[in-house]
Amino acid sequence: MLGFVLRRLLAALPTLFAVLTLVFVIVRIVPGDPALVILGDQATPEAAAAVRARLGTDQPLWRQYIAFLGAAATGDFGSSMVTNRPILAEVSAVLPHTVDLTAASMVIGIVIGIPAGIWAALHRNRAIDVAARLLSLLGLSFPVFVSGIYLLLLFALHWRWFPVISNADLDDPLDRLHKVLLPAVALGLTMAAYITRVTRGAMLASLSEDYIRTARAKGVPWRRVVWVHGLRNASIPIVTVVGLYVGILIGNSVLTEIVFNRPGLGKVIVGALNQRDYTMLQGLMVIYCFLIVVVNLITDLLYGVIDPRVKQT
Amino acid sequence: MRGFTKAARALLLAGCAAFAAPAAMAQAPTLRVGMAAQDVGRLDPHFAVSTIDRVVVAWMFNGLVRFRPGSINPAEIEPDLAERWETSEDGKTWTFHLRRGVRFHGDFGELTAEDVVFSIRKAATAATSAFAADFRAIEAVEAVDPYTVRVRLRENVPTLLGLLTNYSGGYIVSRRAVEQRGADFARSPIGTGPFALERVTPNQSAELVAHAAYFRGAPQIGRISYRFIPSDASRDLAFQNRELDLNYGRGDQTWVNRTRQLPNVTVDVFEPGELAVLNLNTSIPPFNDIRIRRALAHAINRPEIARWRGPDVSREGQSLVPRGYLGFTADNGLPQFDLARARALLAEAGHPNGITIRVIHTQLPEMLATMQVIQQQLRRAGITLDLQVVEHATFHQQIRQNLSPLVYYSAARFPIADIYLTQFYHGRSIVQTPTAVTNFSHCNQADAEIDAARLTTNREEQLRLWAEAQRKLIAEVCGVPLIETLLVFARRSNLDYGYELRGSMSLGPLITEATRLR
Repeated sequence: MLGFVLRRLLAALPTLFAVLTLVFVIVRIVPGDPALVILGDQATPEAAAAVRARLGTDQPLWRQYIAFLGAAATGDFGSSMVTNRPILAEVSAVLPHTVDLTAASMVIGIVIGIPAGIWAALHRNRAIDVAARLLSLLGLSFPVFVSGIYLLLLFALHWRWFPVISNADLDDPLDRLHKVLLPAVALGLTMAAYITRVTRGAMLASLSEDYIRTARAKGVPWRRVVWVHGLRNASIPIVTVVGLYVGILIGNSVLTEIVFNRPGLGKVIVGALNQRDYTMLQGLMVIYCFLIVVVNLITDLLYGVIDPRVKQT
Repeated sequence: MRGFTKAARALLLAGCAAFAAPAAMAQAPTLRVGMAAQDVGRLDPHFAVSTIDRVVVAWMFNGLVRFRPGSINPAEIEPDLAERWETSEDGKTWTFHLRRGVRFHGDFGELTAEDVVFSIRKAATAATSAFAADFRAIEAVEAVDPYTVRVRLRENVPTLLGLLTNYSGGYIVSRRAVEQRGADFARSPIGTGPFALERVTPNQSAELVAHAAYFRGAPQIGRISYRFIPSDASRDLAFQNRELDLNYGRGDQTWVNRTRQLPNVTVDVFEPGELAVLNLNTSIPPFNDIRIRRALAHAINRPEIARWRGPDVSREGQSLVPRGYLGFTADNGLPQFDLARARALLAEAGHPNGITIRVIHTQLPEMLATMQVIQQQLRRAGITLDLQVVEHATFHQQIRQNLSPLVYYSAARFPIADIYLTQFYHGRSIVQTPTAVTNFSHCNQADAEIDAARLTTNREEQLRLWAEAQRKLIAEVCGVPLIETLLVFARRSNLDYGYELRGSMSLGPLITEATRLR
């Protein structure tokens, strides 16, 4: 098990290196000058040159690249070019909020999506199936900035159950739970829509297999056939989708963070991009890439748990 | 013995007051402010260039002098850290006498002349200030004694007090704090203002606490929570839900009307107005032909744009300098809306079937919407704008590389004509030159008037020269003024600023020691 984890982490190193190089190149290809962002629109070329010299952006690209790789290799992410705040401090301040939101959305997505998918598969082409498919289509089509505003109008303004500003006190677990609920519902419903559709398809495929017919012929109770034989064999695509979606959620829940006024990794990434904060973007991408590697690793380990044949290979 | 008793009583009272002040602060209310921003940038006041940074540094810092709270009239500048000043006969040497007993935040002690000298030198240095160019005329600054500062000028400037006021590079910082904290000063600044920064939570808020030892008296508000809420809809909902006391508003009539209907809410619309101008690059086609520039100027229908934006939040631009700035003149021969004339000029310039112009423009919603209205107006005259919409930072870089023959630019500056004319229309400020600022039109026809106005000490002559400069630049159609958009904030009616808000150079309401939540 440990060997498997180490092998996977080692295999991720070239990916990490490629991502670092790509990020370094892309942020510098995009037009826009961090010196102008820092100095504002009245900046003179002299002042801009002074800032570029201080930031090191006046150095040749290869020198900046070597310095960046060297720093990344030692785990030194440096400080933001624009705010001068240490990148790790910035990320660690918002990461708990991102983890809360991702975990809560995942729970909501799974709790709604899997039973709904199974139910739809068991009632194929009947009213329940049609309703589940329609609702999941609606969930996929409704952008979070629309569903989020409706949720706020109803639950925050009308019933006053939740605040509009959802930036929780990290030292207060109840406050964290209270403030993550509404944004997690907005995100989780979209995730549930995905999972419903994938679960339905996987279950339909699984339930038409010979071993299901055999189990039923042997008199295995229907509930057991569905939940143990059917679901277990349909789980690989579901776990894949959940893993992929969690990876997306970590960095891409920016719209939810904006609508619900929550701090988060997505918001930091977009802010850094708008401000051409090269060092911040680079640091964030390394951290984001690492998180994706971890999520993929967990997904791979789960494959082994679900299907022992995967572990053997 | 009696003397000793008096002294002991005085000490006891002082001790009680010292203990009572923090206790009273703890009970004082928190002001919750919603700002349209992702995060605060640099809180070193000499690098505070964005609206979000400018608003908050004004609560933490003072200048030697200040605009009277609620006013942006340079004639109403009054003493702040300096209690009085005098000038030499030639106007080139200024001596400022500092107020005694002014305390910096925390344990950074009393303000002295050394802090003032350090601050002005820092503000005048390109490596430590974004506003260094404004201080070009200052030759030397020196501390005469701990409470006296002398400033010597190379040449006259229209208003030295304007440079040393509570705006841009005029803020005074603690020398010890800057030297101790180095680059960290940008996120843990120390000033003398009514509020001190407690902490910044990235992407969330800046928390400020009242400065109990503030020299004008302890603030009545205990804390300020300055919250970064980029989504307009969410910020409005939070304000409506009473989670905010003060909300950054939109320069949009519909927003103002809707917000005014909320119970116990006051909408403040105030100066300075941002003047939007279409700057035409006179050095390259098609605008190197004055007939095409004139055609475009006649195709613009300013009253229509102002009506579209809303009468409460906007007004027509009348010159290449915003209204109300010292030196502004409306008597300048500005071309008026005349579609027939525009079409005739275009035909005369060899474009009887119209002309298409490729323009780079920002994706910022407010600026893009205005540009789309202009696009429609110009289309009626046969001028088609092919808008290349790019992200905002890209827009700022590309317009400085002469990649767009027409540049829509909206800005407010210190309210005297010199700054606006110099930055936008002086030959020294032409983009892509070593001294560039924001001259996108490449015009330099009024350089003599702008320079002469800066140096003269005769106010009437100065006004005449600025008026002449505006007439020349408008005759050359270097730019076409559009509208001026005012600042808008909404507040709960129990928030009393302690002054009448007519203007604020920090682009947001000043929160002073007199501001209270009733």
